[in-house]
Amino acid sequence: MSQGGIAVAVDGSQASDGALDYALGLARTEGRSVTGVFVLDTGWADFIGNDWQSAAGARQGFLDYIRGQLEVQAEAARAQFAGAAADVPNASFSVIPGDPLEALVSIMAAGEADVLVAGAQVFQVCGRPSLKRLARNLVKRVKQQVVII
Amino acid sequence: MSVAEDIGFFGKLPKALPGLALLVGTMVVIRFWIEPWMGNAVILDQKGWLIKVTHLNYILLGIIMGLLYRNVLFGGKLPDVFADGFKLSRLFIKTGIILLGSLYTVQAIIKLGSMAIFLIGGFVVLSIVMVLWLGKLLGMDRSMTGVMANACSICGVSAAVATAPAVEAKATHVAYAIATILGFGILTMFISPFIGHALGLNDLQYGAWVGTGILNSGQVLAACLAFNPNVAPGTAVSVGEIWNIMRVISIPFAVFAVTVWYWAGKEQPEGTKKSLSTLLLEKFPVFVLGFLGMVLLTSIGAFGDAGIKGGPPASATIKMIRDWMQWIFGIGLVGMGGYIDFKELAQAGGKPLKVGLLVGATKYVLALIVVMIIRDHLVEI
Repeated sequence: MSQGGIAVAVDGSQASDGALDYALGLARTEGRSVTGVFVLDTGWADFIGNDWQSAAGARQGFLDYIRGQLEVQAEAARAQFAGAAADVPNASFSVIPGDPLEALVSIMAAGEADVLVAGAQVFQVCGRPSLKRLARNLVKRVKQQVVII
Repeated sequence: MSVAEDIGFFGKLPKALPGLALLVGTMVVIRFWIEPWMGNAVILDQKGWLIKVTHLNYILLGIIMGLLYRNVLFGGKLPDVFADGFKLSRLFIKTGIILLGSLYTVQAIIKLGSMAIFLIGGFVVLSIVMVLWLGKLLGMDRSMTGVMANACSICGVSAAVATAPAVEAKATHVAYAIATILGFGILTMFISPFIGHALGLNDLQYGAWVGTGILNSGQVLAACLAFNPNVAPGTAVSVGEIWNIMRVISIPFAVFAVTVWYWAGKEQPEGTKKSLSTLLLEKFPVFVLGFLGMVLLTSIGAFGDAGIKGGPPASATIKMIRDWMQWIFGIGLVGMGGYIDFKELAQAGGKPLKVGLLVGATKYVLALIVVMIIRDHLVEI
């Protein structure tokens, strides 16, 4: 196994507890760097794109409301990561906007980590229905090692 | 970070051109080549078999093409180069609805509207009662029940979008509600024309049925045009859209009612309380005013004779507007097809799915039965 960094998807819920434990355990044992990642899902506008009838105010109000929930969840994820990774020297956390699948695939494609760890139900706490297949799609799309907990 | 996603029309037009070109090009190919070919193709010794049997027309073909673009050709996501153009499809449809006002006079609106209020009112009450009962039975969260009550009774996704922030609905719950309602709406959009033709419904009966029974009223327009693509007074779209507009107008009132119900006995946080007038300003769809303005202009003869049944034939201007509408709706609905994401719909589930399917199916079937019973009493325009 290479000694590159570890990326772990964190959503501030129990769905990422196992992944976080595994990723941080690996980082401690092998001295690797670890980055917690929360993806601020930008796919909602597209998700409600078929709704042509809503007033602009209602549509924007809804998107802002969802964004607010995602930001709260991002803070919960940050706190969850900070609490668990307090004793890991090279630990960082980032919140990135985008489609969760595409964002995680891009991180790995850019070589920012060698291993991706994710909970089987990560991001479902505040996500769109298609995120139920996120873990399965990550295994298909990411070239490097993917660990699904 | 800004969350603004609606784009200014002229400012972003250059960026929208590739998507727009795809939408327009698709409709040109469908209307000039595919549809005529289907009408002339001889299959099983019958000329035009494809149209007679499948009832496919440029509207359904357009939606199917949009759907195929997204889910097959583009692998499930609209590419960035086309995304801004597809966003404009909502503007196309709203423009088409405004122009649709040229099909009516004020008297016709009053006649049809009264009948619509009677049918819609009855079904709104039925749907709300069913959702509240099923919500309690399934132990559904109160905010989710509020969202589903409005979504199932008023106009589907638009109502869910308008209601969710007012009742603190969780993002993931709303997402499942939207996927359920959209999935049911799309299914009924495709099957309704077949059922309508099989039962020999006329335009008035069909429009009244789908206007009342389709859960997501966004699909009423497409279901009507799929049944009869002609845009003229008395056609399915002229009936169904009055029903649709009555449903859309009621959104702010429904949001207000559900908000009052949701917060009853609870302390609503300061700054989140909204009066009915604020909700009207925020959630009232402005295109309805354009539609009513167009009705008024048509009524005073601003575009010449409207071609209403029993009156003189439509003027050249009115005929031209109706021809534009067919193109505008066709192009807009290719774009709407492009927003149907099978990945999302396939994963719908949980309590919203159960409630949505039960209420949606009941409403759809019962509306058909009611329309069949009162078919001789429906008011023609």
